[in-house]
Amino acid sequence: MREQLLLYLERLQEFFPAILESMSETGIMMFFSILAAILLGLPLGTLLFLTAKDKPRENKLVYTIANTFVNIVRAFPFLLLVVAMQPFIREIYGRATGDPIAASFPMMLIAIALYARFVEQSLLEIPTGVLELAQSMGASTRQLIVKFLYVEARSSLIIGFTTALVSFVSYSTIMGVVGGGGIGDFAIRYGYQRYELDIMYTAIIIIIILVELTQWIGLRLARKLDHR
Amino acid sequence: MIRFDNLSKSFITNQEEVKALDQITFNIEKNESFGIIGESGAGKSTLLRMINGLETPSSGQVIVDDKDLTQLSEKELNRHRSKVGMIFQHYNLLNNKTVEDNIQLPLDIHSHEQALTVDEVLDFVGLLDKKTAYPSQLSGGQKQRVGIARALITKPKILLCDEPTSALDLSTTHDIVQVLDKVNREFDMTVVSVTHELDVIKRLCSRSALLQDGQLLHMIEVKNQQEEKGYDSYHARALEVLQS
Repeated sequence: MREQLLLYLERLQEFFPAILESMSETGIMMFFSILAAILLGLPLGTLLFLTAKDKPRENKLVYTIANTFVNIVRAFPFLLLVVAMQPFIREIYGRATGDPIAASFPMMLIAIALYARFVEQSLLEIPTGVLELAQSMGASTRQLIVKFLYVEARSSLIIGFTTALVSFVSYSTIMGVVGGGGIGDFAIRYGYQRYELDIMYTAIIIIIILVELTQWIGLRLARKLDHR
Repeated sequence: MIRFDNLSKSFITNQEEVKALDQITFNIEKNESFGIIGESGAGKSTLLRMINGLETPSSGQVIVDDKDLTQLSEKELNRHRSKVGMIFQHYNLLNNKTVEDNIQLPLDIHSHEQALTVDEVLDFVGLLDKKTAYPSQLSGGQKQRVGIARALITKPKILLCDEPTSALDLSTTHDIVQVLDKVNREFDMTVVSVTHELDVIKRLCSRSALLQDGQLLHMIEVKNQQEEKGYDSYHARALEVLQS
């Protein structure tokens, strides 16, 4: 037992730099996904909410376009989306595979669509009285969003974001298949091809801990900000 | 001050035209306390919401302070809305803001030259001690007081009350009516109240329009009942009402 433990620790020491590298590659993909979710997913979800039927900025055309975009991206089996996007990524970035930044493009697209849907759902939970209030005070659309909608929906927006974040980890593993690196790539190389199961399980446990931690922080923050 | 001129509003539901308001014409004078009564579906709230442009007429005019609201641009309409105070049946407070921040909100949206301070309006509605509380910590009556304070902080020329007491029990209704009565007496304000509760109109208003099926059925000079007997508690009121 003692010998096995020592052996494991030795192997861990040997493989730890590889685990760390994979995690940092996943980290890069996560970073770009988070950026896309906040900078584009949040506005897109807000647009979906505002332009829907009987909402303050009802606009059938804009709503249909935004809604169709989100549906298409979400309906795509992720691996097929990755493959389908290769020519575009090569066009924009110069290469389609081989590094985590190239791998971030499909991740960003799914992050935008996924979080936009969560944002739309969160905003739909706000009582209609809040919209009525903003309108009666003569609030502009911008003020309605910032001073009313995001204030009342903030906890739900954070919980949705945490949930989306956990999904991004899953999506990122697919990128390993097309040479994007990250923990998915690690699992294939060490777990699937080389059968170094102990190392693979170690990596899995680290990921579970990180996911749990993210979820815990998200929920805590949401609860702290919720006075409903 | 406020003039409805041949005002109609119709909705299309299930491909059928429903007339919510049908050729309404009357005036509300400056500083008047005016009531709009009628059964549910009579068009009371729709008419009230014409005054701050939350509803737009299908035909006819709404003239407030010599301005025809149907002719205003979106920006001008927003500015007009900010000058009209409104209180709601379900209070419409932001639950994630403190009482103080809720009351401050209208001043964050538009600048107002004659604005009061949060302390002044909180003092007026008797809730100074709840300044840092959140709405979830307040009772229904307290929430409506916050709603009133929020409407008063801009010192509007017009105050609209949309079923202000309908979500409250009897003794709380009495309290809120007292506060609104005080508003009418102490501020230079035209107060327009929509309610189905006749007692409330009797206490607050000098005139009232009676609507039915979107039509103005009657204009009533209200024989004002100034001081209804106040009760110190629900207990006292219950005994009085049930035993006499």
